[in-house]
Amino acid sequence: MKNERKRTFMLITIPILALFVCFNTIPLIRGVIYSFTNFKGFGSYDWVGFRNYIDLFSDARVGKSYLFTFKLAIVSTVVVNVVSLILALALNSKIRAKSFFRGAYFLPNILGALVVGYIFNYFFTYILPAIGSMIGSDAMSRSMLSDPDSAWIGIMIVCAWQAVAMNTIIYISGLQTVPEDVYEAGGLDGATGWKQFRYLTFPLIIPFFSINMVLCVKNFLMVFDQIMALTKGGPAQSTESISYLIYNNGMSGGQFGFQSANAVIFFLVIVTVSVAQMKFTGKKEEQL
Amino acid sequence: MMKEGMTKKTNWTAMVVLILGLSAIVFPLYMTLVIAFKQPSEMTNSVSGILSLPKTWSLDNFREAMRVTDFWNSLKNSLLITISTVVLSIAVHSLMGYALGRNKSHSKFYSFVYLFIVSGMFVPFAILMMPLAKQTAEMGLANWFGVILLYVVFYMPMNILLYSGYLVNIPMALEEAAKVDGASTWRTYWKIIFPIMRPMHATVAVLTALAVWNDVMTPLVILAGSDQNTLPLAQLNFQTQFGTNYNLAFASYLLSLIPILIFYVICQKQILNGVVNGAVK
Amino acid sequence: MKGKAIGYFGISLCCAASAVCMQGCASSGDSGKTQIEIVQYKPEAAGYFDALEEKFNAEHDDIQLKISSPNDAMTILRTRFIREDYPDIIGIGGDINYSYFVDAEILADVSDYPGLQNIKQAYRDIDEALELVPTDGSYAVPYVANAAGVLYNRDMFAEHGWEIPQNWSEFTALCAEIQSEGILPFYFGFKDTWTCLAPWNAMAVSLAPADVTKQVNRGETNFAREYREVSEKYLDLLQYAVDDPFAYGYNDACTAFARGEAAMYPIGSYAIPQILSVNPDLNIDSFVMPANDSADLNTLNSGIDLQFCVMADCKNKDAAYAVLDFLYEEENIQQYIDAQIAIPCKEGDFALSPMLDGMTQHIAEGRMTDYQDHYYPSEMAVDAQIQTFLLQKDVDAFLLKFDTDWLRYNRDIIRLVQDYEKNHGN
Repeated sequence: MKNERKRTFMLITIPILALFVCFNTIPLIRGVIYSFTNFKGFGSYDWVGFRNYIDLFSDARVGKSYLFTFKLAIVSTVVVNVVSLILALALNSKIRAKSFFRGAYFLPNILGALVVGYIFNYFFTYILPAIGSMIGSDAMSRSMLSDPDSAWIGIMIVCAWQAVAMNTIIYISGLQTVPEDVYEAGGLDGATGWKQFRYLTFPLIIPFFSINMVLCVKNFLMVFDQIMALTKGGPAQSTESISYLIYNNGMSGGQFGFQSANAVIFFLVIVTVSVAQMKFTGKKEEQL
Repeated sequence: MMKEGMTKKTNWTAMVVLILGLSAIVFPLYMTLVIAFKQPSEMTNSVSGILSLPKTWSLDNFREAMRVTDFWNSLKNSLLITISTVVLSIAVHSLMGYALGRNKSHSKFYSFVYLFIVSGMFVPFAILMMPLAKQTAEMGLANWFGVILLYVVFYMPMNILLYSGYLVNIPMALEEAAKVDGASTWRTYWKIIFPIMRPMHATVAVLTALAVWNDVMTPLVILAGSDQNTLPLAQLNFQTQFGTNYNLAFASYLLSLIPILIFYVICQKQILNGVVNGAVK
Repeated sequence: MKGKAIGYFGISLCCAASAVCMQGCASSGDSGKTQIEIVQYKPEAAGYFDALEEKFNAEHDDIQLKISSPNDAMTILRTRFIREDYPDIIGIGGDINYSYFVDAEILADVSDYPGLQNIKQAYRDIDEALELVPTDGSYAVPYVANAAGVLYNRDMFAEHGWEIPQNWSEFTALCAEIQSEGILPFYFGFKDTWTCLAPWNAMAVSLAPADVTKQVNRGETNFAREYREVSEKYLDLLQYAVDDPFAYGYNDACTAFARGEAAMYPIGSYAIPQILSVNPDLNIDSFVMPANDSADLNTLNSGIDLQFCVMADCKNKDAAYAVLDFLYEEENIQQYIDAQIAIPCKEGDFALSPMLDGMTQHIAEGRMTDYQDHYYPSEMAVDAQIQTFLLQKDVDAFLLKFDTDWLRYNRDIIRLVQDYEKNHGN
């Protein structure tokens, strides 16, 4: 009986794992090999040993992009998780026009990058400054995206605006696993509002919280579309994300080898961050 | 199997939060709509100008956008790719999620495979792009099937994360009961676990469909300019190096938004009708 | 039992896989005609090339021509190159990608193509100059060019009696005059970093040596010396521009200029279609950027916008040349330049768009110099560096960084150049 179960699991795992290795791991290894060359993306190339990696650590632009990306990712992750938890709780409670609201809050996720870029550019360039000068605020009457110090906030707002939908969906599906009787029992003990959430609901949806954290960190650390749509790395190269450098200089530019090295290091960094995160929330799960 | 909260009152706090939050959705949507109906000559740089209603409500932009993108053909391709990917993802990823989710806490091997696959999520696509373009061509997969296969691999990490997370809340007791009846693990999975994960299937379906529906790079690189376009590929037509026709583009994006929105609304019902609540009792 | 079920599952997956595989591998054999495939990178001209393809195939029985104008053609080309799946002819711009392709030896030598003799010398020189190190052959046939200078609102100029400036002092005087009449001289769209390069290129051609990058690569000079004047004059222009130009994108600037919010827009001829889409009645003309104090030293910034290269892998060069002959027929070129407001690279009697009136003299005399940025590696992000400089207004810091970054991003090219110099005994 026990063996049957083991064998079944093995038979499921091996072919799917093989598929994954074939189309993810093998091309990744090929990419890692390019990171030791000065390959431009076409034509011939030479082996350069660890030159790309050494350059990477002395490249101020790469360093700056790491700082920017992490700042953006941390703030966005916090904002998105708070907002989407509130939305998920609201959407999951007894409300009218539930389908309408759920549909509406899903929309930001499906508007194409071109549309989002245009609308938010317009918003930051014209509408927000107009509001700013109407209320007499000097700081607000200039475009947020034209100032190297504040451009990242604009990007953060758009990232959050788009990402909230997906995280909300995941939280909603998490809330479905919370049995009704937990609330009933809690209600008898007088747990309502914040207390009910903190001690009853939240512990039960921690697996979903941890999924959302990982997905957020992944999506925001790898932010690319929003940068392309809003600032293209400007002003004054203040919003160049790591993915932006990897794609623009590696794919469109002639730095394929160098940016492959960047991608390898970046991959290791995110894996470390995420595994640490999963270990941490995994411990929390076990405590319950 | 009582339906949730028949007796509860409407939660007005939640309503207020949702209605206030709605302004962040309605405003951009309004702008998208009016721009989609305007002519390029109606575009201005003034706030009142951009918010004003179009001079005429003609569907010409939509007609023209459909012509430029060869709408029905591209829609067909997009639907084909998206639906195939979603179906395959639900079948393959839930199975893998089950195998890993049930074993990773007590087996080193499964725990390793789980982390190995999940970390695949963090590989920047840019580094895979060129090797994959070469590899798929060598394997004769530079076609739709190759694109779908790649999607199944790309979204595997996220979906496995979701499925195995969901399994934590599904008690082992359910499976053990079936086992007592003499059912095999394979059978138990399809008869008991798979149906119970319906809310997660719906979630996975929505997230996967959305990602596939909007993706440009994979078909661009794998199909490399064959004449078959998906909608997002066809929509690149509106942007050239030195000019963008926003009006047509917006009309086109509104059109391509409809199918996925409908799909979402259908799936959303499934997420809600989760049977876990009833079954656990 | 369960084993069987899993087995079936696996087998059916494999079957599906191989079935689609077979289908994908099926070749598209044809009736013995020579197939010529062109991939060109300007999707905005797709309509024109579709019509040409049809016309060509109607006229020729022996050659089957296929022209594709995909979106994001450069990505597609790179993907196809890595698969070694080369088209016969590619249509690309005369920029650093072309230099790389020549260096990678994937283009065929077309110096034996007779039609090349009909191409204006100025543009053939540009292609020769783009080669990283001099080669014996020619690798591209220039088709059309664009030019960058200053677009101006002709009606507004006529109304106020403003004259086209011939040198730098006239130019700044004109800007001051326009400003004093309460009109905005320039709009800029610096939020889109690439637009920072337009005035830069237009001024640099008249203020720095045309081959400045090559001189630097040979170690003969540095940018701190050659680009100082351009940088300083660029800052001068800023005072006549819209407030906070970094807030606006290219599209905003085009719209503003089209709506008459500014008298001039220093950008290339390529922006005209976008401007006209907003205001089809706008009366636009353009003039050469008068960056130099001496009018004679001002040259028009013009580069190759589209050129055709035969790939080294092309099986049937004669057929490819027949296709080129067709593309370069006067009537076809005229159609292209009418639609795209371009400048033909071929010698001959073409009718130029009236929107280029202010530049025709320079074009006729061949007083043209290529865009400096065609020599910049894109990953160095010179456009972003200029944007940074315009924000911070620190000439020295900008030029210092330019020099250091140049050496870093062009390391392999510089080594190539120095090897060449050594081997060719200079």
